Formats: sequence, structure tokens, C-alpha cells
Amino acid sequence: MRSTPPTVAERAMLAAAVQAFRLGAAQTLTGWPVLAGRCFFYVLLMIVLSGLWDKVAAEQVAGLARSAPVSAFVLYVGATEWITLSLPAVHLKFEDDIRGGALETHLLRPKPYLLQAISQSCGSAFVRMLALGATGLTLLAVSGRAWPSPEAFVFIAVLGVFGTVVGVLLYALAGLGAFWARRTLPFQLIVQKLMFVLGGLFAPISLYPPILRGIGEGSPFAAHLYWAGIQAIRPSVPLFLAGLAWQALWLVLLAAACAALWRAGVRKVLREGAA
Amino acid sequence: MSPAVTVRDLTKRYSYSRPRKGLAGAFAPERVTIEAVSAVSFEIEAGERVAIIGPNGAGKSTTLKMLCGILEPTAGEAQVLGFVPWRERKALAYRIGVVFGQRSQLWGELPARESFALLRQVYDQPKDAFARRLGELSERFALADIMDQPVHRLSLGQRMRCEITASLLHGPRLLFLDEPTIGLDVTAKAAIRDFIREHARDHGQTVLLTSHDTRDIELVCDRVIVVDEGRIVVDQPTDQLRRSFLARKLVVLQSQAPSLSIEMPGVAARPSAPHTTVLEVDTRTARVDQVIARALALGGIEDITIEDPPMEEVVHEIYAAHRR
Repeated sequence: MRSTPPTVAERAMLAAAVQAFRLGAAQTLTGWPVLAGRCFFYVLLMIVLSGLWDKVAAEQVAGLARSAPVSAFVLYVGATEWITLSLPAVHLKFEDDIRGGALETHLLRPKPYLLQAISQSCGSAFVRMLALGATGLTLLAVSGRAWPSPEAFVFIAVLGVFGTVVGVLLYALAGLGAFWARRTLPFQLIVQKLMFVLGGLFAPISLYPPILRGIGEGSPFAAHLYWAGIQAIRPSVPLFLAGLAWQALWLVLLAAACAALWRAGVRKVLREGAA
Repeated sequence: MSPAVTVRDLTKRYSYSRPRKGLAGAFAPERVTIEAVSAVSFEIEAGERVAIIGPNGAGKSTTLKMLCGILEPTAGEAQVLGFVPWRERKALAYRIGVVFGQRSQLWGELPARESFALLRQVYDQPKDAFARRLGELSERFALADIMDQPVHRLSLGQRMRCEITASLLHGPRLLFLDEPTIGLDVTAKAAIRDFIREHARDHGQTVLLTSHDTRDIELVCDRVIVVDEGRIVVDQPTDQLRRSFLARKLVVLQSQAPSLSIEMPGVAARPSAPHTTVLEVDTRTARVDQVIARALALGGIEDITIEDPPMEEVVHEIYAAHRR
């Protein structure tokens, strides 16, 4: 582990990344009607999904009630949808820049575009998380449902923020495919479906058979959604720390994978020219 | 003093796969290699303003990209401000400014001021020096009223003023401009040309420009490198080139009559469609205003435009002259 203070160059890189984060946040705030539409969509989605889970609870589905009070599943879906809807389409930004040639402009700058683009996306996600979080809490208050414990909110918030960064990196990986493929949609669809299946978007993967559950919990898709969501059902310090550990691991691995793909892609562009 | 840019036998070849005919050909495509730039050599002194011109596909932009460091050559050497561009791209980035006329470096949804603020961090500019430079550029480019408007709401001319400002905020010693006036109206083009020329002159800045517009070259640059099919055809002072090849204008007249006949020394009619007369005017012999006055005197004129001959034609002429 390094203990030396950051160099001037590293501080400058961080300052540029912070500025990009602010720019991303400002961009999302500027498009506030879109943000408002997203919040409205979140409300509609939650009305439908909570109706579904309430029906499941009313019908006493065998085995389900053993894992948790079924009404808590509504809060689980609220948390996972909060994260999912906060994700910006970073893959499309990469696709546009790489395939549209704007990447050349970014390569002419002394700071790494990858870090700038991811910081900008995180800034955008941050504003969405605030707006959608406020929407979710308002909806919860209006619905008259029982509130989770205060520590559950803290756990969800922390794991939700890191989970969103994991999601940004997953979509960034899909977007970096644009160096080799004309469209990133196929990559994005694969990532999205795996988020749905292994991340536990609508139902926690703790309901899966043991083998699938093991695979799911160790996947980056669970680091993106499940670990934050499960705190709405079973908030606990050990689960919180387990989630944090998985997220830290995947943040490092995904960041390394993004950096490797980026380096290979830039080498290709420098050799062959922009797409 | 060492040159700002030194290029020796710079070559860039691109390869791509082309499917052959038939089913078997689809699995064994033909490998095709294109030489975009062929062993180009030149030097540019510090403070010089040089244009690289040529038809589409001549290798202008490819050369520029190699000199900026965003494209590796297949062979040859280059040094820009003492750096090998494709090996020291980031170090060079602090010292050069680049404007691609057809690409924006600003964030469309946000005011230009926000993009400038990010660029300050990207180029590690001290706050005071940055504010002073932005103030100077804002005054010179009359940006005060437009800097706080979202970039996508600006006209193309206003946007280009912001683009050039963005490329100068870190005080680069060398400015690369790729088609900086493309798509602009006459007034906006004039403003951009005046600014580039005066700014470079006042700051001793080296400028390397590519353009399809012969006026960009005449009004901004003091030297012209003409490239065609990846090779340098001519490298000479703009004055010399102007006297030989940039002295022609095309006057296009739309008239009620199927054709017009104007006979003056230095004026030649080109083949054209009915009701359109295209006159090639040699400005060394005839004045454009006199040609237009003569046309108006004939009556029935519905529209008049004055154009430069297409760059392809100018380059072809230069090429032909140098082969003779």
C-alpha cells in the first residue's frame, strides 16, 4: 500500500476529474425536464412493482415469507430501481465519441479522457440519485408503508453510491467495445440482462437456489444492485461490510478492465486513425 | 533558433480488408493498402503561419493529426516544439492548441464558460493567468454576451469563436487549425481570419492551417504547402502563389435571358446551364466590380454570386504547372 502523498500531477488529475464531475452534474441539472420525467417514471414503476409484491404477500407464496417479510421486497425493488434509474448511458457517450471522431479532440488533451468521462458520468449519476432518492422517500411517506430502520437508510445510501459507480464501470466496459464494434448496443444488452438476472433487479438473489445464489453474490452485477437492495430487507453490519468488500473488489477489477480496454483501444486509434 | 516543426519523410499507410467476389471471397478478403501521406518533408519556423492545402483525400488532415500526436506514422520522423508528437502526446498537448472546424470541443448543453472552467483544470492553468487570458480573448472576440448561453444555442460563427478561445486558453505556442471557417458566413469568416492573424502576430504564435477556402490561406498565412495524393506539390510564399494561381474569381450570374455575353479582357465564359452564366475573371487583368457593372448594364439579372475556384481546380492547376 502506498503511503506517499499524491504528486502535483496526481493532484492536478484529481482536480480535473472533480471539475468533470461537476460538469456532469451541471449537465444533468440543465436537463431538469428529463430528470423530472425520470422521477415520474420511477413513481410509475414503483406503483406497478409494489402492486405485484403486495399481491405476492397476500397470496402467501410458499417459502418466500420465510426469507423476509414480503412487504420489505417492495423496499428492495425501490432501492435497486433507484440505482438502475440513476445510471447515465455512459456506453452511448463512448460510442458517440469513439465512432463519431470526437475522441480525437479528447486525445489532444493532457488529462486522461477515460477518467474524465467516468467522472462526468458519476457527476450526472449523483444528481439523479439525489432527485430519485427524494422521489422515493416522498413516495414511501405517501404510501403509508413501514419505514426501514435509520441504519438501513445509511447502508442503502453508501452501498447505493458505490453500486452506481460499479454500474457506470460496467456500462463503460460495454461502451469501450466501440473501439472494435460499430454499435455497443449488443454489449449493453448483455450487461443489462445480467444486471437483471445476477444483480437481482426485481427480486433478491437470496431467493435463488444455493449455487446460483453463490454465483450471483460474487458477480459485479450483485455489487451493482443486490448488496444495496438487500439492506432494505435485512439491514445488518456484517451484510453491509460483505457488500462493501464485494463492491471494492469489483471497483478495482472493473477499473483495471476499463483501463486495459482503453489502452488497447487508444493504441488501435493511434495506429489506424479514428473510426 | 530551432524550427517549431520539423518533418522528415513522414509517411502514413492505411490497410483495410475488401471482400472479394463470390462466397469464397467473403472468407478470404483482399488486403488493400492506401498511402495517405508519402514521405513528406518540411520545416516551419517559430512564428510562421503556414497553410497546407489540397483536395479531399490529399493527406492534409492526416499530416495534421500526426503532428498533433493522435496518429502514428508508418515511417518517417517529426518533431513539434522539440517533442516527437506520437510518443510525447500529453507533454505536447500543453503547448499546442487545436481546432477541428467540424468537431466541437465544448459541451453543447452548457454555457461555454463551464467548458472553459473544465479546460482550466485539464491544462493546469493558474486561476489568475487563466482569468486574464479569458478576459483578453473575450474582449477581442466579443464573447461577453454569449459565454453564458448554452453552446447549442449559439450560431456557428459564435460557436467557432468560442472553439478558438477554448484552444487558446492555455497559451499554446503552436496553433493547429483544420478547416476553421468551414460552413461560416462571409462576416464570420472575416472575423475568424482577422483574429487568427492578429493573435498569432501579437503573440509570436506559429500557425498550421488546413482549409478548402483559398481566402483563409491568402488572409492568414504567409506560406503555403500544397499537397496532392499524399505528396508535397508546392511549398512557397503565399504572395508568390497568389500571383500565379489565386488571382481568379468566378462570377455566377442568373439571368432571364438563356445566356449572357460579356466580352472583356481577362474574362472568360465557362460552360453552364441555361439562364446561368459563369464568368472566370482574372483579377490581374479585370476587376470583378467592372464585370458585374457590365452584366447589370445588360439587364434581366436575377442573382449574382462571386466564388473562388474550387480548391481541387486550383491544386490541379498548380500541379499541372509544376509538371510542365
